[in-house]
Amino acid sequence: MTHTDLFYEKGKLEVCTLINEPTNKFTKLGSYIYGIISFHDGKIRVPGRITDRMATCNEAVDFSTLEGRGVVPRFRRRYSVDKSDVIPTISLAFTFADEYYPHQEYVIAKPKKEYDSPGIVGYGVYTSRFRIKEGNIERSVPFIDEDSITAAVEAGKLALIHSRVNSALVGKIYVGSESNPYAVKPIASKVAQVLKLGEEEDDMQSVDAVDTEFACKAATSVFKDATALVEYSKSNIKYAMVIGSDNSQAAPRDCPGGELDLFVGYGAAAFLFGKNDVIAEVEGWYSCTSDTPDFWRRDGEPHPMHGGRYTGDPAYFKHVRKSAKKLMERLKLQVGDIDYFVAHQPNVQFPVRIAKELGFREEQYTPMLKVAKFGNTYSGASLVGLAAVLDVAKPDDRILVASYGSGAGSDAYSLVTTSQIMDKRKNQKLTVKYQAENPFLEYVDYTTYRRLKIGM
Amino acid sequence: MKVRPAIIAVGRTRFGEHYEKEPEKLIEEAWLRASAEADIERKSLEACYLSDYFLPITNKFGLEEGFLSELTELHAPMEVTRSFGSALSNACNAIQAGRYSLVLVGGIEKMTDRWDKIRDDLMLLEDPWSFYAGCTPEANHELMLRAYIKKYGITGEKLEKLNVALAQVSVKNHLHATKNQCAQYQRKITVDQVLSARKEAGKPLGLYDYAPISDGAAALILTSEEMAKKYTDKPVYVLGSSSATDYLTYPARDDMTHFVVSRIAMKNALSMAGKSLTDMQVVELYDQSTVMEMVSLEDLGFCEPGKAWESVYKSCQDYKGYYEIGRKKLFVNMNGGLKADGNPLGATGGAQVFEVVKQLKGEAGERQVKNGEELKCGCVLELEGFGTKGYVYVLGRD
Repeated sequence: MTHTDLFYEKGKLEVCTLINEPTNKFTKLGSYIYGIISFHDGKIRVPGRITDRMATCNEAVDFSTLEGRGVVPRFRRRYSVDKSDVIPTISLAFTFADEYYPHQEYVIAKPKKEYDSPGIVGYGVYTSRFRIKEGNIERSVPFIDEDSITAAVEAGKLALIHSRVNSALVGKIYVGSESNPYAVKPIASKVAQVLKLGEEEDDMQSVDAVDTEFACKAATSVFKDATALVEYSKSNIKYAMVIGSDNSQAAPRDCPGGELDLFVGYGAAAFLFGKNDVIAEVEGWYSCTSDTPDFWRRDGEPHPMHGGRYTGDPAYFKHVRKSAKKLMERLKLQVGDIDYFVAHQPNVQFPVRIAKELGFREEQYTPMLKVAKFGNTYSGASLVGLAAVLDVAKPDDRILVASYGSGAGSDAYSLVTTSQIMDKRKNQKLTVKYQAENPFLEYVDYTTYRRLKIGM
Repeated sequence: MKVRPAIIAVGRTRFGEHYEKEPEKLIEEAWLRASAEADIERKSLEACYLSDYFLPITNKFGLEEGFLSELTELHAPMEVTRSFGSALSNACNAIQAGRYSLVLVGGIEKMTDRWDKIRDDLMLLEDPWSFYAGCTPEANHELMLRAYIKKYGITGEKLEKLNVALAQVSVKNHLHATKNQCAQYQRKITVDQVLSARKEAGKPLGLYDYAPISDGAAALILTSEEMAKKYTDKPVYVLGSSSATDYLTYPARDDMTHFVVSRIAMKNALSMAGKSLTDMQVVELYDQSTVMEMVSLEDLGFCEPGKAWESVYKSCQDYKGYYEIGRKKLFVNMNGGLKADGNPLGATGGAQVFEVVKQLKGEAGERQVKNGEELKCGCVLELEGFGTKGYVYVLGRD
C-alpha cells in the first residue's frame, strides 16, 4: 500500500456506538461516540472517537443517523493524565465533515510568482465550535480535549491548506503562547512534527522550531524575524510559520484575577511568510518595549494576575499609540493611506478607543473587531483581527497592525495586499466569519465553560 | 491424529467473587477435584501448563510457574500461557510428541479484586490504537453488531427479532446456569430485563448481554491414550485441535461481522478429528457477549452467515433446551456460557472443556443433555481478545 497521510483526508464513519462507561483515563470525556472510520473506499479502517460533542444524560442516539457520514481527523489530547505526565495526543479523534469543521483538501501548488519583498503567503484561524454567551459578548471555549497545542496545530494546518505551500519547505516555526500546558517543552516541536514542517529525515523534521513568550504579542513580535529569515538568501529557508495560540487563562470569577474570566477566549492563528505567491507584503515595522508590570503569572501559578485600571493608559494605550504612530511616521503614512487598522483586542473598548484616538474611521477598524465573537485569544487576538481583515481585503489595500503584549510592548506592521489575495481566498472555507457565525456553534453555561477550559 | 491425548479428569471451582480466597487456593481446589476424580498423585505429574491473563497485574505474580511449583511441591517443567485453550494446546503437543505422558493443565483468574481497574486491564487484549481512540472492552461487540445489521440489511421487524434473539441467548444461558452449582449466576432472567438494560444504557447491548468478570479456576489431567486406560474407563479424547490468529486491530480486519479465527480453527480441528459438523452434539461457545454466541454459530458453520439469529429466535419461542438448526438439535453452552457460568479469563476455557467432558461422560447431573442418543462428540471454541486468537477442540469418546 502506498503511504497515505490520514491527517488531511476525509473519512467515513462506518459503524458506531455510544460509550457511556469509558475506561478510567477517558472518564473526563463523559459520554462519546466511538466507531470505525474508513478511508479510501474502505481500504483502510481505523478506530476513532467522535469529538466536539457534549454528553447529555440518557441521550438516545440513533446510530443510523451518524453512520455513513463523512468525518475529518482532528488533532486532540488522547486522554487525561496526571499533571506531571507528558500529555499524549492523537489524531484518531474526528468530527463530522458536514458540521462546524468541513473537510478541506491539502493541495500543494507550484509557486506562480516571486515577489521583491517578503510577506504573508497564507494564514489560518482556528477556534472551537463551543461558545459562552454573556451579555453581548460571545467567547470561544475549547472542547475538553483541546488546548493551546491542539489549536496551534489546527491553525497551522489551515494555513498550509490556504497557502498551498509544501510543508516540507517550511524551515522555521515560531509558536507564541502564554498558555502552553508545559512550563518546559515547546509547542512548536509538536506542530512541526504533526504538520511535517521541513524535510522529514530519520524521524526528525528539518525545521527550526521555537516557542516565544511575550504575553499577547508573543507571535506578532516574530513576524519580523520570519520576514527577515525568508529574505536572507543564506538562511536557505523559503517559508517561516508564525502561530499565536492560547487557551486564554483566567482565574475563576470569585478569585483574585477573576475579572479576566469575563473576556478570555480560545483560539489560534497561523501566518506563513515567504516570497512566493505573497498575498500581503510586509512594508515595514516598528516595535517598542518597556518594563511595565500590568499583567503577569508567576511560575507555578495556574492563573495570571492583572493590574486592573493600570492596564489601560500606562500599558495598552501608551504602547499601541507609540508603535502605530511611529511606524506611520517612518513610512510617511497618513490615516487616509491606511485601509484597515488592526489592534490587539483584550475587550471591545480598548481597540475602538485607540483606533478613534489615532484618527481611524469606523470602516477602517470595525472589520478587525472580533473580540465580541471569540473573546480575548491572547497571543492570537491581534492575529485573528488581521486574519478577519485579510478575509475581506482587496488587492493593494494597506493594513496597519498594532499588537500589544503585557509586560509590556507593541509591534506595529504595515502590510500591503497583492492580487493573489483574491486567488487564495477560495482555498479557505474556515474563514473568521465562517467560525464566528456558524450554525453549528454550541453554547455552554458557565459551569461547563470552566470544566471545558480546565480540560482533561 | 495418530496419538490421541486423553482427558482423564477435570475439576473446577465455582466462578464468581472469591475475595476470601488467594489465587493459590482456587487453583488448588480445581486441581484437587480433578486429581481426586482420577486418583492421581501430584508427584506423578511430568509437567504443568497454567493459563492466566492477569495474575501479574491482579495479584503481582510475575512468575506464575514458581507459585505453581510451591503449590504442587514439584520441580517439573511448567509453562504459562494466557488462555486455557493455549495451555491445552501445548499440553496436547507434548503428549503427542511423546515427551510426557501425564500433565496438568490449569487455568486461573482473579479479577474482581481490581473491580475499578479491570476494564482498563482488559484493554490489554485490544490494540493500543483502539484504546487510544477511546475503545472499551464492550465497544467492539457493539460495533460488530452494527456492522452485522448493516451487512445483512436487517431492518424493521427483522431487526426487532434479532434484538430479541440476542436477549434470548442471555436468557437461555441464565436458564442453563440454574442447573450448574459452579455457575456465577444461578438465576433466571427475562427478555424484558435484557432489553430494558440496553435501553437504560442507550446502547445496542446492555448489562445482560455481557459476560461478567469473575474469579475462578479449572484444571484437567491430560495423558496419552495408552496411559489413560490405567486411570479411567471413560477417557475423553482430544480428537482434533486447532488455533488461528488474526489482526489485533479489529477495524483493520477484512470482515467486521465474523471471526475468521473461529472458522479456520473449526475447519482444521474437524479435519484433524475426521469429524463433520453434524457429529457435534454439545457445543461450548465463547459468549463474552450475546453477539459473540450468535456470530460463533455462523463462524463454526452451524448456521448460514446472517441467519443464526433466526434459528435462535425460532428455537427460543418455546425453548426446549437446545437450538434447532435445520432439523438438528444443537446443545449450546449447557453450563450457562460465559454469561452466566462466569468468565475468569484464564480459567474460562477450562470450564468449557469441563462441561463437554462431563456431558460426554454422562456426569453432568441435572443439566445432562438428553438427546435420545448416546453423546459421543462435542466441541469447544475459546477466543483470546476480540477474535484475535481462536482455539477449537473437538472432544469425543470411543
